[in-house]
Amino acid sequence: METTTKGFKKTGTVVAVIVYCLLILWTLVNLFPIYWMFTFSLKSNDEIYGQNIIGLPHKFLWENYKTAAHTGRMGLYFTNSVIIAVATIILTLIAAVMATYAMSRIVWKGRKLMNKFFMLGLTIPIHSSIVPVYITLKKLGMLNSYQALIVPYAAFSLAMAILICMGFMDDIPIQLDEAARIDGCGLWGTFFRIIVPLMLPALSTVGIYTFLQCWNEFMFANVFNTKEFIRTLPVGIQQLSGQHTTQWGPIGAALVIATFPTLFVYMLLSKKIQSSFMAGAIKG
Amino acid sequence: MDKMKEKNKTAEVSLSADAISEKIKRRNKIYKGVSVFLFLTPALILFCGVLIFPIGASIYYSFFDWNGFGTKTFVGFANYVELFTSQIIPFPLALKNSLLLAVLSVFIQLPLSLALALALGRGIKGERFFLSVFFAPVLISTVIIGQLWLKIYNPDYGLLNSFLRQLGLEEKIMALTGDIKDVLWLGNSKIALGAAFVPILWQYVGYHMLLLYAGVKGVPVELREAAMLDGASYGQVNRYIVIPHIKPIIKISVIFAVTGSLKSFDLIWVLTNGGPLHATEVPSTLMINMLFLHNRYGMGSTIAVLLIALCFLFAVLISAAFRKED
Amino acid sequence: MKRRLIALVLAAAMVFSLAACAGGGKGGKTKIDMWCIATETDSNRKAYEKAIAEVTAAHPEIEFNWEAIENQSYKTKIKAAVAADEMPDIFFTWSCAFLGDFVNANRVYCLDEEYKNWAKDLDPKMLNNTTFNGKHYGVPTTMNIVVMFANMDILKKVGYTEVPGTYEELIKCCDKLLAAGYTPFGCSGKEDWCVTEYVEPIIEKTAGAKAWSDIMTGAASWDNKDVAKAIDIFQEMISKKYFDPNGAALTNNEVKANFQQGKYAFYMNGSWNCADFFADSAFFPKVKVSEFPVIDSSKSKLGQLIGGPSDTLAVAQSSKNADKAAAFAFELGKAICHYGYLDGCGLPAWTPDYDTSSVNALTATVADIVAKSDAMVLFGDTIQAADIANIYLSYVAKVYGKQIDGNGFISGLKKDIK
Repeated sequence: METTTKGFKKTGTVVAVIVYCLLILWTLVNLFPIYWMFTFSLKSNDEIYGQNIIGLPHKFLWENYKTAAHTGRMGLYFTNSVIIAVATIILTLIAAVMATYAMSRIVWKGRKLMNKFFMLGLTIPIHSSIVPVYITLKKLGMLNSYQALIVPYAAFSLAMAILICMGFMDDIPIQLDEAARIDGCGLWGTFFRIIVPLMLPALSTVGIYTFLQCWNEFMFANVFNTKEFIRTLPVGIQQLSGQHTTQWGPIGAALVIATFPTLFVYMLLSKKIQSSFMAGAIKG
Repeated sequence: MDKMKEKNKTAEVSLSADAISEKIKRRNKIYKGVSVFLFLTPALILFCGVLIFPIGASIYYSFFDWNGFGTKTFVGFANYVELFTSQIIPFPLALKNSLLLAVLSVFIQLPLSLALALALGRGIKGERFFLSVFFAPVLISTVIIGQLWLKIYNPDYGLLNSFLRQLGLEEKIMALTGDIKDVLWLGNSKIALGAAFVPILWQYVGYHMLLLYAGVKGVPVELREAAMLDGASYGQVNRYIVIPHIKPIIKISVIFAVTGSLKSFDLIWVLTNGGPLHATEVPSTLMINMLFLHNRYGMGSTIAVLLIALCFLFAVLISAAFRKED
Repeated sequence: MKRRLIALVLAAAMVFSLAACAGGGKGGKTKIDMWCIATETDSNRKAYEKAIAEVTAAHPEIEFNWEAIENQSYKTKIKAAVAADEMPDIFFTWSCAFLGDFVNANRVYCLDEEYKNWAKDLDPKMLNNTTFNGKHYGVPTTMNIVVMFANMDILKKVGYTEVPGTYEELIKCCDKLLAAGYTPFGCSGKEDWCVTEYVEPIIEKTAGAKAWSDIMTGAASWDNKDVAKAIDIFQEMISKKYFDPNGAALTNNEVKANFQQGKYAFYMNGSWNCADFFADSAFFPKVKVSEFPVIDSSKSKLGQLIGGPSDTLAVAQSSKNADKAAAFAFELGKAICHYGYLDGCGLPAWTPDYDTSSVNALTATVADIVAKSDAMVLFGDTIQAADIANIYLSYVAKVYGKQIDGNGFISGLKKDIK
């Protein structure tokens, strides 16, 4: 803003004050519920219900965390969610990069149409396919396994992943392909030697979008898995809060256990996460 | 005679050369075809198996009266007709609710996101901090957000009512909402829809903000500076330089906001499951209830088909609208 | 570059090797799986745990796995499983329509053969709700009725030492409670079935058990003036502020907790709650149980109840060891009944062959009420087929939300239920 001419400085500060007020207000709106969740996870019902609604806990009740960890296996659910998210991201990525290569680098009739076909996936609600997918999974003997969630999640993330990969792949100069051809690489050689390594920046971008898709999903996770050892976080939380409806402390503790690892990783990697997310927006 | 022989020979040679190049071409073509097929296979299997086949199945089932496991009775378009004429299945209401959510997303959530993106995109102090805080709710599981807001809205002990009580405002709001003891929020059919929409809109402001922020950052600095030198105010720069420049991203945001609203399910399901008295019903909650509570699998499939068609239709319409503007 | 390639291959291998985590199981043993709704906070949890420990110990040849799923999620899950014919060997079900739909689709194993081995402990009357076309398909565990719980500490403050025995007395009592600043009733509006726990006894005590039963089974039309009258009575109670207005936004667990904390004088719900009230030692001495009083004595009388055997175990037709699962289900059902009754989760569907003197006072009173019962009509959302039951529930919700009155209720249901 150094270039602002002198005459503009005054309005500049007024605007800046308004802008900061807006930003700080929205920051509070964002942080307050999280702060509240954290504090009530350490309080007794008496404090939550009236004596001390928004302050820091008078007495820190760490037992709430013990209760939450005891009734629900939050650690297990968390691990399951992470395994499923990571595997989904990998599967999505493999399928998306390969498909994108076929549609953007190899010239053939109908490749544009094929791309449009995949883009249909952007608009399909995940819940609309629950029973047919259930029946298919059953026929393949895949119910009650990690794949029961990984495969559908990957399929529903695919459209977005292809959209992003298209953006990234278009940025790779076609001359590199041609050079590889001259060196005697075939389509596959070019793909593995040139395209895959150069597509690595897309990895984190696709990863973020896919993560958002499968980290939150509840309905499939609830219906396709009945075994506790593969229960995911949203299902675990929902079940747990059904069990402690009236003891808010342990629910709060469970919510915190489920949230803070994500937020912590996010704080460490926020710059990277944001820039990949943004990259997706621009390339997509 | 010899000459003849010679001629024949050359003809033979050239013929075989043609054949060979033809063969190579064909082999190349096959190689390419097979490669394309192989490259597409994983994506196609996933996509067709999990998305396309179920849509086909849903369309098929939507013509049947079927409870999901008994015998099927073909009923033609009866399910579709019933969906729009029934007194019992509040599909028009559900549709209206989700369209309202779409409108609110586009006219409240997106402008707010845009404002935040423009403010941050200007390069102010604390940019990174604000960016991180605003995006954080997107990363929290929807079920967790839902549980948290259930506690916020709790009529007896919730944060919101406690806060209003301390300000002495609860009585005034109760007079408006018709509540007797406390403001019921999600339990009052007059205001439940609004109350359920707030967390949905709140959670995804960060999502759209970051998309738009990316666009704002992509506006060449020279363009801005040139406009500023010409005496344009901050608002004018945004209006005439930045916003037109990020139109493609705004388009994507609008499509995501609208189709996302039509598809919305998780938060509503956790907060109200469509109640009270269907006040917060959206097509997805209605579909799940038809499938699993009413045992009307055919009707559930009909809603699924209409939902997919609507999402697709809106995506196309929005794209067309933006194209026309250009 | 090579390293990256290896990473990709490894990743792919990982995806596929995950399959290995899912399968498994020891050889030689018969595997039996069960799904139920006895989650950690369910009243029946302890009974299930004890029963399963006992029965599995007696059958080392069986590898038994069970999974408890929260009520609402369970309905989704079991129906998806039935649709895909991927049911566990033994599954929990509600009797009548819920099970009937599955039976009609040929997904449930007939228990006639196995029942012969258990007939001496299980009265055939208890199987009525799980019998279709003359064949038995379910093992009942406990039976429950709708009862009115009263907090005697609060009633004492307005001069009552007993639960009001007549409708007029009850109304008088509620008025006194209101005047003294107490809320008479609490009812969850977030869960429609909780409203039926009030509506159905009121209708039955106004229109009579026979009339109500005929409507529920489809033998009579909804066009019944007494039903309309009962609905109007219920709504009058709401208008007079007998009900906590906040109930509309609360879940049943929250309402129940409020009752235990002394916020309401009365709470009408299933008799299975006796177990939880018994477990709450501070609250237990305060609470008494009774049936809802008669409103129209020319049509109804005391002893006409809502309830019956509903909690049921059934065996899947697709089970690989259906015969073994059936025997196991009977043995388990009997044990759950045993421990459930002693815990206070309900009354025994099986004839007790053990010492019942330790049963808590509340459950004993409920047993007394049932022993004197004249007629029982099962819960409306269990009797009626899924689609109809849900239409009925949405009308009940409309009544509680005061969107329709008694006439609107009967005329609407008459029109919408065919």
